[in-house]
Amino acid sequence: MSLLEYHLLLALASGPLHGYAIAERVAAESGGALEPRAGSLYRVIARLVGLGFVAESEAEQEVAHPGLARRYYSLTARGRRTLADDTQRLKRTAAVAEKRLGLAARGRS
Amino acid sequence: MSTLLRTLVRLFPRPFRARFGQEVVEHALLDWERDMKRGPIAAVRCLASTVLDLGESALAERLRPTCPSVPAPKKGQTMSFDLNGWAGALRHALRTLRRSPGFTATVVGTLGLAIGTITAVFAVLDHVLLSPLPYPHPERLVFITGIAPGSDMKGEFGPAGEFFLQYQDGGKLVEDVAIYGTFTNSLRVGERVERIPMGVASRSLYPTLGATPALGRLPLPADEDRAVVISDTLWRSWFGSDPSVVGRSYDMAGKSRTIVGVMRPEFRFPNSRTLLWVVGDVRAEGLTPGRFGYNMLGRLAEGASLPAAEAELTALARRLPERFGGSPGYARLIEQHRAVVRPLLDQMLGPAARSLWILFAAAAIVLVIACVNVANLFMVRAEGRQRDLAVRRAIGASRGQLLRLQMAEALVAALFAGALAVAFAGAGLPLIVSAAPAGVPRLDEVALGSRTLLFALVAAVISGVACGGAAALRGSAPDLARLREGGRGSTGRRRLVRDGLVALQTAMALVLVIGAGLLMRSFVALKSVDPGYDTRDVFTFQFAPEQPALVDGPSWARFHLDFVERLNRLPGVTSVGIVENVPLDEGTDDDRFRTDEMPEGPDVGPNLNITYAAGDYFPTMSIAVLDGRVFETADHLSQHGNVVVSRSAANLLWPGQKAIGRRLQQRGSKDWHTVIGVVKDVVQYNYRDTPQALVYYPMVGPTPKAWALSSPAYVIKTARAETIAPDVRALIREVAPEAPMYRSYTMEALAARSMIQLSFALLTLGIVSALALFLGAVGLYGVLSCAVAERTREIGVRMALGATAATVRRMVVAQGARVVAIGVAIGLLAALAATRPLAAHLFGVTPVDAPTFAAMAALMLAIGAVAAYVPARRASRVDPCQSLRND
Repeated sequence: MSLLEYHLLLALASGPLHGYAIAERVAAESGGALEPRAGSLYRVIARLVGLGFVAESEAEQEVAHPGLARRYYSLTARGRRTLADDTQRLKRTAAVAEKRLGLAARGRS
Repeated sequence: MSTLLRTLVRLFPRPFRARFGQEVVEHALLDWERDMKRGPIAAVRCLASTVLDLGESALAERLRPTCPSVPAPKKGQTMSFDLNGWAGALRHALRTLRRSPGFTATVVGTLGLAIGTITAVFAVLDHVLLSPLPYPHPERLVFITGIAPGSDMKGEFGPAGEFFLQYQDGGKLVEDVAIYGTFTNSLRVGERVERIPMGVASRSLYPTLGATPALGRLPLPADEDRAVVISDTLWRSWFGSDPSVVGRSYDMAGKSRTIVGVMRPEFRFPNSRTLLWVVGDVRAEGLTPGRFGYNMLGRLAEGASLPAAEAELTALARRLPERFGGSPGYARLIEQHRAVVRPLLDQMLGPAARSLWILFAAAAIVLVIACVNVANLFMVRAEGRQRDLAVRRAIGASRGQLLRLQMAEALVAALFAGALAVAFAGAGLPLIVSAAPAGVPRLDEVALGSRTLLFALVAAVISGVACGGAAALRGSAPDLARLREGGRGSTGRRRLVRDGLVALQTAMALVLVIGAGLLMRSFVALKSVDPGYDTRDVFTFQFAPEQPALVDGPSWARFHLDFVERLNRLPGVTSVGIVENVPLDEGTDDDRFRTDEMPEGPDVGPNLNITYAAGDYFPTMSIAVLDGRVFETADHLSQHGNVVVSRSAANLLWPGQKAIGRRLQQRGSKDWHTVIGVVKDVVQYNYRDTPQALVYYPMVGPTPKAWALSSPAYVIKTARAETIAPDVRALIREVAPEAPMYRSYTMEALAARSMIQLSFALLTLGIVSALALFLGAVGLYGVLSCAVAERTREIGVRMALGATAATVRRMVVAQGARVVAIGVAIGLLAALAATRPLAAHLFGVTPVDAPTFAAMAALMLAIGAVAAYVPARRASRVDPCQSLRND
């Protein structure tokens, strides 16, 4: 799973969002490292929909940007599972990395 | 913007588009709106990244669809051999390009630079020249002047007031006419007083243009000259966009006037600096005919042609003497008068239009040179792939498929180059705008619009097709026999094509370099013109005191001479002078003068320019006194009837005789003036002009009782010319707190300003031709390198047989020199024709200046030799054993 895909799933974990809100949240949560433009973003969404991780959904509340197509995306159960799995994997990887780089040791002292 | 986005979204395959197209467009628009607010850099970044992203995503989507309604490629089918569609070809192209980053970078960089250059120029051209004036039916707006061949009015001249009345009353083909002008005067709002650029126009200006106010109304006949309309800019900056300003009165241009309307933001006539417009109408009563020089604007009736309008106006003017009278000279002039009508846009752009078209042509040449380079690179590459292509052909690929495969590569590279070009153009535009001469209309509003982006896209696609085309046509018909031979061999025809292209490149680069060379020589010639004065270490400024004591010539003179004394006491000041119209900033009035020997009459005597000088004007400007003396203080304070004349004025009045002590009289005056000094001629406005024949009056003026020298220019000779302004401003505040300082410059800055048209042309054409030279050299280098690589074996054999390194070097350099020499010959011929449009910019050289042609041809040959020498050295280092063993 690519970083963008991960962040996209993460963005949807708290509830359905529309495309522009996803982009904003991804940018914020990645600390600006990811700023997906429209083309890339919707391709990734399309792929995640194709994989069954994300589904189109009805909006819970009527908010956000005026004029934007009211199409919301939400995380499927499968998507949530994949996100959880990947998070666990990242955590383990991070632990290994911390150990190897001596970051954890310094953190404790 | 949304049109552009919709166009780009078309690049996506249908299923994706159907599902996400709308969302993508809206999303990108939101991005755009957000970044627009962050400033121009963010906007350009957003635009570039959005365009790139959409292009890239669309391509990726076509290659690896994500949208479920498209069946995924079948398992086992390897895309690299799926040559049946553009998708496969593009995917293949992306891969091969990624595999050879050096080649890709060269191609994308070269094309990107060239497309970027032409895109930036197009952005300016599109905005300044191709966008119509912001008025209804701008194509019917015309500028009206006249000529009178055979009379003593030289060239074109603006019509006089009676023409305006006559045209307005009698014109059928010309629906309406208006006269206008610009000037600088004071605006006072409360405590704030400034000298600002103003317009003066007949009330017919607004209906003629078809302009309506955003607020309030236009001036009416009952207003007489008390009504003023103000610009949107002034309304915002001085009045805080307060609508209640309409109906209020302020001191404007010397009297109290009432603001009756606020114009729309796009109303910028005749230029964007004009901040308000006062009414200046012509009245038939008491009109003296023959006061030429108005700017006149007209609106043609629908369907009227320019020649028909000229004929009508000429006929109307013939009847002027019977309606308005005038001198016999005037009647003679009218008989020879012919109206000249041209589109208003042409008049407003003037020489700027020509500069921009020349620049555009130069950028197009650079693009062609870049394309030739890239085409050569692709051809060389195709050569290397002959075997690969032959294999594909042998196992059944059709010619069309191979063609597509090769074209795809060039197209993909060109599209990347197009994206890079947009970034270049975005970065380069502010530079062009800042270097451009003042007076290019609407230049400050230039930005990368959707038309420019479309232009970049089209330029990229055309370049891609052109670059890939030659190689692809060649490569799609590979010689199957090559398979057997092992794919070696160089055919003469192939080299001929490549050499031909390099010769062509050389020729085009030479044309540009010669153009730049001619401008350079003009610049040097203009710089070395002796204007008659020295601009170094001179500061000039004006201020316009308004004090009750200043009523006549002597009181004005005393005020200014006192101020000269105060300025003289400033630290670091060498001398101070006063002149009515300072050279390089303002034009002078003119009138006829007669001598004792000439009879009286309105058409007698030569036409001379007039100005007023006092203080140490002549020493401050280093204007040489050739004979007699200059004014003393007494000359300024009461009428002694003394004048100083310039040498050519003396020659016109008393050819071949001494002027000192002789008398002259201005037309319409009763007073005679005696010449006390003759000074050197000076260039008044532009170094290209011939120096003026000038009469200097003393400050007291020709008729002291009524004379008001309200705002002369001061000149100060000081080593502190750059920094003295604040000291001067403080002094002005002491003597005339009501008067702002304005038109303050160093004379050096004025001199630079007078040359900016040429500097701009030189700078831009210089950069573009340097680019052409560079690309041309790279092209030659590339082709020779390739030739050397191909001939390694031959060279090895030669060296094995006893050729020395020097012989081999000479052989390769000679090959290059031959190609360059042919190119230079063609280029010289082409330049003979191509430099003609530059003539308007040139000074002191003809468009076919032999030394420039020779020098630039030599430069080209030298650069060719250098470009050839590097591969030649490589050739001479070929190890015979190594090259033969390779077989």
